[in-house]
Amino acid sequence: MLSAAVTTVLFFALLALAVAFAVATVLTRRIFRSAIYLMGTLATSAAFYVMLGAEFLAGVQILVYVGGIVVLIVFAVMLTSSGEMLEDHPSALRRFLGFVVAAGFCATTVFVCFLTEFKSVAADKAVHAGDAAAIGRKLLDRGAEGYVLPFEIISLLLLCVVIAAIVIARKTGAAAGSGAGAGEQG
Amino acid sequence: MIEFLASYEPGVVTWLMLPAVLFAIGIYGLLTRRNAVGILISAELAINSAAMNFVIFNRFITPAKVDGQVMSLFIIAAAAAEVVVGVAIFVMLFKHRRTMDVTRMDAMRR
Amino acid sequence: MSPGWMPCGDSGARPMQHILDYEFVLRNAWLIPALPLVSFAIVGLFIRPRSAKLSGFVATAAVFASAVLAWILAAGYFRSAEGGHAALVPWSMEWLRFQENLSASVGVLVDPISVLLMVVVTTVSFLVHLYSIGYMHGDNGFGRFFTFLNLFTFSMLGLVVAPNIVQMYVCWELVGVSSFLLIGFYYEKPSAVAACKKAFIVTRFADLGFMIGVLILGYYGYSFFTGAGSTAVGQPFDFAYLTSPAFLEKFSQVATGVPGLTLITVAMVLVYMGAAGKSAMFPLHIWLPDAMEGPTPVSALIHAATMVVAGVYLVARMFPVFAASEQALMVVAGVGAFTSLFAAVIGCTQDDIKRVLAFSTLSQLGYMMFALGVSTVHEAAGYTASMFHLFTHAFFKALLFLGAGAVIHAVHENDIWKMGGLARKMPVTHATFLIATLSIAGIYPFAGFFSKDEILAAALYGGHPIIFGTGLLVAGLTAFYMWRIYFITFWGKARCEKAGHAHEAPVVMLVPLVVLAALSVVSGFVPFAEYVYLGEKPPHEGINMGVAVPGTIAGVLGIAIAWFLYAGDAGRASALVARMGGSYRHIRNKFYFDEIYIFVTKRVVFAFVAAPIAWFDRHVVDGGVNLTAWCTRTSGAVLRYLQTGQVQTYGAWFVTGVLFVTLILWKMFM
Repeated sequence: MLSAAVTTVLFFALLALAVAFAVATVLTRRIFRSAIYLMGTLATSAAFYVMLGAEFLAGVQILVYVGGIVVLIVFAVMLTSSGEMLEDHPSALRRFLGFVVAAGFCATTVFVCFLTEFKSVAADKAVHAGDAAAIGRKLLDRGAEGYVLPFEIISLLLLCVVIAAIVIARKTGAAAGSGAGAGEQG
Repeated sequence: MIEFLASYEPGVVTWLMLPAVLFAIGIYGLLTRRNAVGILISAELAINSAAMNFVIFNRFITPAKVDGQVMSLFIIAAAAAEVVVGVAIFVMLFKHRRTMDVTRMDAMRR
Repeated sequence: MSPGWMPCGDSGARPMQHILDYEFVLRNAWLIPALPLVSFAIVGLFIRPRSAKLSGFVATAAVFASAVLAWILAAGYFRSAEGGHAALVPWSMEWLRFQENLSASVGVLVDPISVLLMVVVTTVSFLVHLYSIGYMHGDNGFGRFFTFLNLFTFSMLGLVVAPNIVQMYVCWELVGVSSFLLIGFYYEKPSAVAACKKAFIVTRFADLGFMIGVLILGYYGYSFFTGAGSTAVGQPFDFAYLTSPAFLEKFSQVATGVPGLTLITVAMVLVYMGAAGKSAMFPLHIWLPDAMEGPTPVSALIHAATMVVAGVYLVARMFPVFAASEQALMVVAGVGAFTSLFAAVIGCTQDDIKRVLAFSTLSQLGYMMFALGVSTVHEAAGYTASMFHLFTHAFFKALLFLGAGAVIHAVHENDIWKMGGLARKMPVTHATFLIATLSIAGIYPFAGFFSKDEILAAALYGGHPIIFGTGLLVAGLTAFYMWRIYFITFWGKARCEKAGHAHEAPVVMLVPLVVLAALSVVSGFVPFAEYVYLGEKPPHEGINMGVAVPGTIAGVLGIAIAWFLYAGDAGRASALVARMGGSYRHIRNKFYFDEIYIFVTKRVVFAFVAAPIAWFDRHVVDGGVNLTAWCTRTSGAVLRYLQTGQVQTYGAWFVTGVLFVTLILWKMFM
């Protein structure tokens, strides 16, 4: 009873926080702050994961998302010197269009959710399956229910991405030779 | 008070409202931000809410398994990949065009 | 065509003999029209841009080869008398196949009149080509000129050898086009442009009638043809079928709504309209005098010897069909006789040497037409006479034009009153021109005498005394106006400085003159009636004194009057002109026909037909087109806003689409 009440309070409080961060993320005109608000949203999400019993995932969320991706984005902000300037307001038409589409999406999803019957299973039956060992076994299981193939594909994808990022971002054309030379000297 | 609160313990539908709202906010950002990095950030919001959906379904529909969490892991990995490529492209773009305003990136139209 | 002066006789020693014998030429008769066509293409595309001289040479050589083949064909064909000169189709190829029993072919028809015309066209065309090498020397459009001449020669030959009416119509239009090109040859001259437009529009207008006539004939030809079964000859469009008694018998029964008017009359009058347009019969004659704006060799080739006789040829080719309708024949005869008189009267008053010759051509064509009109299937003397006159006229009229061309070349002036005294300065031209003038005046023993005599005899004994009288009068008038220009041009003293310095034309121009002069003398002695006739071969009659004497008297009288008025004291002529006063002026202005046409076209047709049509076209037709264009453009402009080039707009549409798809799927599966 108490835990249920705590869950309720915690849920709605975090919900408010997450939505507030998310709204701030998309509305602020300073792109750097936007990245920070994103970090807030993601951290709140990690809290939700904990509430959902996915502690390992919450850890990964913090590590990869907050620690990796957001930092990468911050780098991008700095490299494009977007941090120093205020972003222009989008046009009124675009804001209206965006709002209508987003609201339409939200309404549709909510509508569909309410009208769908979920075969919900009581939470108490749940094994405390959120531990890393279960996930690890699942990822490396070569059986019918295992995910070893997607896992390998994801690893390949990440490798490709690393190469691709280097290829895209390196100096091109005539500048390429001098850039390579500078790298060797460094 | 506690009973009242306990009676409102969020079920699966209530939980699903959360990613729905976050996703909608992400879409709004995708459609309205002028800065390309801003769009990337909004996309991250949306992706994150999608990952959250899996976790919610995992918790309420198949609590005995971890498949949803594995999916979320994959999504995080894919999001990381996307951001890496996106950032590389934007940096390159900025080098060439000295702007990050997507409303001015309409070369395909001309 | 008598064996005496055939270019390729039967001396067996010649190595070419076995290649160029009659059998070979008959089998390959298609070569006669094909050679100028090939030469036209080669000269026009490849040689003309490189060398003017070579294009003239190649074009002339091609036509010369055609002429040689035509002469061999004629010699062999007319000598193989057994079977009575049957109509042969040595070569034909299916061209358009519409359905079973209905196809149009291209081919070569060899029968007496087509052989005759082939000889005339190729010979005159060759001589004109040769003459043009001298006449057009140094002209900027030298190569272009020969290209067009070749095209014209091909079209005319294609028309002549057409075994069916479709090929004839196609070549008929080709002839029109090439004459348009040649009349407008000096396209920098506004008058030449106006003349070529006039010629094209008038003949096109006439061809409209021809085309409707062809359609009527083709329609009934086909419907009777399918009924005829296997007994029918050839194809529905073939002349052999259209002129066959089996078809005519049925076709002459078809009635129109109007009592007393059969459809065959309507069809043949429409066909005759086309013929009258090409042959410049009244009232479609107005283009021919203006067509003299073209270079003089063109006038000689097209507007004297060949193209204008296409109308006569058409009537002759379809003569059995015309003969099946008495009314149609009466139209042919009446229009022909009237035109011959009308043109002769105008011809007496003109001052431009080429215009006089043009009106003389009109007059002579009228002669040929009424000769056809007065004959019937059974009494076909007029048919023979008409073809005979066509044959002789082609030579002496081409000679007249080429002679006039030589004079114009020397004097650089068309007005006869600025010439004079040229007899001594240009002896060869003078001699040949004199022969042609004697010939056209109908003086024995020149060619014109024989053919004219036969035409008048046909009119008299065919039971048309009025037409005979008209013909006699025209004979006198012809002699008068031809000798008028002869006296003014060649006798007396030079009336301007240029005429005083005139020199004889170069040899390349004189050779055709001499050849044509020789032909003008001897062509009358060809036993023509033995070669060209309809039905049974008529008995040879010789010269009919009852007609020859009055004809010759009329000619001599005309010459005498011309001599009296123009040979010595010019005052006599001006006194006569003063006496005639107003009527002279009317005649000199060609009875104001050009003005009437201008009035009708400008004031009536333009104001009441063309202007409303133009308004309709501009506002309703163009309006519809513009409306469609406007709709397309506007919808495009509206749709353009969907293509903003902005990824975010596309994204918005994308999400909206996804939502709709989601809702639809959900609706379907839940």
